[in-house]
Amino acid sequence: MGNGNKTILVVDDEQDIVDYLRSLFEDNGYEVLVAWDGAEAERLTRERRPDLITLDITMPKESGVKAYKDLKRDPELGAIPILIVTGYGDPQLETFISTRRTAPPPEGYFEKPIDRDELLAKVSELIG
Amino acid sequence: MAANEHGTRAPPRETLDELLQRELFERLPFSLTVIDPELNVVRANSHFEAYFGDWRGRKCYQVYRDRRDVCSACPALLTFRDGHARVADETGRERDGRISHYVTHLAPLADRAGNVRYVVQMTRDVTETSRFQREHDILFDRVPCYITVINRNFRIIRTNEKFRDTFGRGRGGFCYQYYKRRAEPCERCPAALTFADGAEHVAEMVGVTTGGDEAWYVVTTAPLSRGRRGVEHVIEIAADVTDVKKLENEKLEAERLAAVGQTVAGLAHTIKNLLMGLEGGMYMVDTGLKRDDRGRISRGWDVLQRNFDKTTMLVREFLSFAKGRVPELTPVDPARVLRDIHDFYADTAREQGVELTVDADPGIEPLPLDPDGIEACLTNLLSNGIDAALLRERGGGKVVMRAREQDGEVSFEVEDNGVGIAPEIKHKIFTTFFTTKGGGGTGLGLLTTRKIVQEHGGEIEMESTPGEGSTFRITLYRSRLNKLAREEVRDRDGRKG
Repeated sequence: MGNGNKTILVVDDEQDIVDYLRSLFEDNGYEVLVAWDGAEAERLTRERRPDLITLDITMPKESGVKAYKDLKRDPELGAIPILIVTGYGDPQLETFISTRRTAPPPEGYFEKPIDRDELLAKVSELIG
Repeated sequence: MAANEHGTRAPPRETLDELLQRELFERLPFSLTVIDPELNVVRANSHFEAYFGDWRGRKCYQVYRDRRDVCSACPALLTFRDGHARVADETGRERDGRISHYVTHLAPLADRAGNVRYVVQMTRDVTETSRFQREHDILFDRVPCYITVINRNFRIIRTNEKFRDTFGRGRGGFCYQYYKRRAEPCERCPAALTFADGAEHVAEMVGVTTGGDEAWYVVTTAPLSRGRRGVEHVIEIAADVTDVKKLENEKLEAERLAAVGQTVAGLAHTIKNLLMGLEGGMYMVDTGLKRDDRGRISRGWDVLQRNFDKTTMLVREFLSFAKGRVPELTPVDPARVLRDIHDFYADTAREQGVELTVDADPGIEPLPLDPDGIEACLTNLLSNGIDAALLRERGGGKVVMRAREQDGEVSFEVEDNGVGIAPEIKHKIFTTFFTTKGGGGTGLGLLTTRKIVQEHGGEIEMESTPGEGSTFRITLYRSRLNKLAREEVRDRDGRKG
């Protein structure tokens, strides 16, 4: 695959899901960073500037919603595509995020369990 | 007669009879008139004149009432006829036109032959008093509560209008007949307590309406009069709170239904996570097989194993949550429960570096609880508290379990000095399958705890400061628990029958 040094930040608090996504992305030629909660996600994004972020919503300490809004509203980081990957099947969540006037909608929304091919297709579409 | 220093002659010294005759009429602090059989006012004191104006040459009904004809049922005429003294309540018009209320005592003045020649009328103005009385009557009758005055035998000697409108006359009957359709006094009767200690008491009572429906009253009792035997009369004020109770029950039911919905949503969330874990495991095994990478296959297999175990645990806990067990209430000593839980967990907690203590008010009477249910609740809260305390960065974790009672509200508290709960997730912790323990929890602990507490008619709440700790508080109401226990006995007896 020709996506060279593209880096994906995987944000989730479940070890098994992190392992899965890490393997999936690495197998497809991406570099993978991991954050276990929203606060760590924000810190790593500032430090390492990943090319794309997959973000879980329900996490301890700082939820994905806050990290999402902080990142999307940040003039330097707002352009980084974020894919919401959550098991929280509540459509309100999508509504919440996409209708918030304070932040633009996410680039993609994936419900766990994810469709692998669809996720990879979206990632490839966004960052090559 | 001695002359005084000015040399003038002093008037002759009067006898007591003479003094009375001259002074008494004027000095008495109420209106006095003397009338003849034709009802002419023949004498009146200045007190009377100040109130009713000039009386000379006028009839009493003209002066008192501004009437042209004699009053019907004139008490003075009756006294002229039968020679008896009497008392009459009167309404009259004063000289300034003001309506006033007064009490008149009528006494006959008879000659030696026994003929009543005159009648003396002594009139006292009770306008102020009767205004207070009227205000009191309006208040007594119109307050939106049932009011009864009862004697030591619980016999009703006075009722207000609202009581009579709802229950009928009341007077002469017993309060428990009317409020509860009972043939004997109630247990835990607040009026009995007031008769015993002379203090005010408040109780929530369940009654039966005339239609046979359940009614809820908040009853306040206070001593009204005291005699040699102590309190002789008690006033009972009962506010009907049935509508409030109904709303409360509807709210509980709505919350229960909402919790069911949230439970289903939460279950879906948890299952999706498990599926994703399983899918991840399959992916690893699959790609491992393709690449002949034994390490990857092994890691994938571990993931599958772990998620299988988690699924098993979830199903087991969910079944226990969903079983809809009816609490079996037996008297439980709150302090004892806390001590038992402490003794069971203290060593394990200490080994992990968390100190566990119990602080229970002595003398909390046993209350009807489902022993297994309440133990499950407290164990869940304790386990959460220990987990939170373990996450402290600087060690020294502590969990305190408390039991308190105030005004019939028994509270259990589990307080930890752990990491606390972030404000944005506070509202979720009781309502969804919520876990911050990653794979370590199913998210069912607090949901189950809340369910058990609600089955006991209680409430659970939480206060938390991130970084400082959390306190979970279960509040149970003695009155509700007693009612649940009574219903349980009734249901059991009903089934037997």
